[in-house]
Amino acid sequence: MEMTPDETTLFTVWGIGINETVGYTWVVMILLTVASIVIARNLRPDVPPNRWRTTLEVIVTAIQSQIEEISPRSSRHVLYFSGTLFLFIALSNLLLVVPGFTPPTASLSTTAALALSVLIAVPLFGITGQGIRGYLKTYVQPSVIMLPFNIISEFSRGISLAIRLYGNVMSGAVIAGILLGIAPFFFPVVMDVLGLLTGLIQAYIFAILATVYISSATAVVGKPLHKEKDK
Amino acid sequence: MSIDWVTVVAQVGNFLVLVWLLKRFLYKPILNGIDAREAEIATRMGEAEVAQKKAAAAEAEFLEQKQRLVADNTAHAEQIHEQAEQEKEALLVATRKKLEQEKQDWQAHLEAEREAFIRELHLASAETLYQLVCRALRDLANEDLEEQIALTVMSKLESLAQELTSAADRAEQAIATTHAPLPEHTQETLRAGLERLAPGLPLSFTTDASQAPGMILRIGSVQVAWTVDSYTDELTSLLADRLAAGESGRVHNHG
Repeated sequence: MEMTPDETTLFTVWGIGINETVGYTWVVMILLTVASIVIARNLRPDVPPNRWRTTLEVIVTAIQSQIEEISPRSSRHVLYFSGTLFLFIALSNLLLVVPGFTPPTASLSTTAALALSVLIAVPLFGITGQGIRGYLKTYVQPSVIMLPFNIISEFSRGISLAIRLYGNVMSGAVIAGILLGIAPFFFPVVMDVLGLLTGLIQAYIFAILATVYISSATAVVGKPLHKEKDK
Repeated sequence: MSIDWVTVVAQVGNFLVLVWLLKRFLYKPILNGIDAREAEIATRMGEAEVAQKKAAAAEAEFLEQKQRLVADNTAHAEQIHEQAEQEKEALLVATRKKLEQEKQDWQAHLEAEREAFIRELHLASAETLYQLVCRALRDLANEDLEEQIALTVMSKLESLAQELTSAADRAEQAIATTHAPLPEHTQETLRAGLERLAPGLPLSFTTDASQAPGMILRIGSVQVAWTVDSYTDELTSLLADRLAAGESGRVHNHG
């Protein structure tokens, strides 16, 4: 039984084999980007929003409000990061229902990459918010003795994030594969429906945890999310 | 379960690219659109608030103008009413005065007509009486009334002989005025009588249609007259009394 899509080459570009994980990630990226461009191409305050634009606004403002609930003084960059995490994972998991599509999140490499991104983003946001000295101080809080534990905690966060997402997505696929052998018609449908639900929940949990980690790193200094404007 | 680190690096890159793409094409347009719409709504609400304040001010001004207009209208109406009352009073006074004047004129006219009627009645009565007496005298006594008048006047002249004599000395002639021309024999009778009392005093005869039947003889300042005026006056007063009695009787009857 195939356990990871990393090993399956989807196509080759200039002699480089593109596996399913990367290939389907590009599919998800293209879908998200094209949808965003099409829906948000004609945004003017004097034009009444259509239903698609309203849908996107609802999604974006819902993510924004979730982040604000966790950290009222979060930077808008947290929204870009956590929101992208949620949308990417959610769409990848929802596309599970498409025949022949293998979610990129079913690859441990993808979940590890996302966890690694969170692992890198947390100190970056922390340093941006508190300065490098302020951020490093958090590792010796409440005392210097806690330094190794804080470092272990930081890394274990990333590992737990990666394993949790991979495990949830992969477990669905594994269970579906096992049940397919027992009851070929009924259980796979049920498991796919369940997979949609757990996929969305996992996307939500991953994004929320990433936001929590980032906000804990930037807890001291930060700017209000809704007042900051991008240049 | 294994991790392909090349795939991991590629996925990290993919994820960072996706973050940039979504930031560029999703979050910024959506959030900026929301912010712009919020700003637009805030602006419109501000404008609406200003417009509402303006409307409230305009409404207050309108109400004030309306109240002022109502007050002006009331004062104007009162003034017009007062003017109308004054004009009505003036017209009533003028009308009353005019009516009073017309009433007075009418009464004067009525009085004049009444007097004219009485005068005409007087003359007609005298004339009628004269004619009746003439006829009665002719029929019953076989005598003329003119002759009798002349005799009556002459008898009165005889009783005034002294005054007549002194008046005749100062007068150049005697004038006998009658309503109608006297017959010749009556004129002769008068001349003979006057010749006896005032010898040499000429006597001339004149007529006056407005005079009552009878005769008036003037010799200087002396005047002797006999007319039916006294009889007609008595007849007129009698008729007036009868008429008044008849009117009062009618009034009583109507009452």
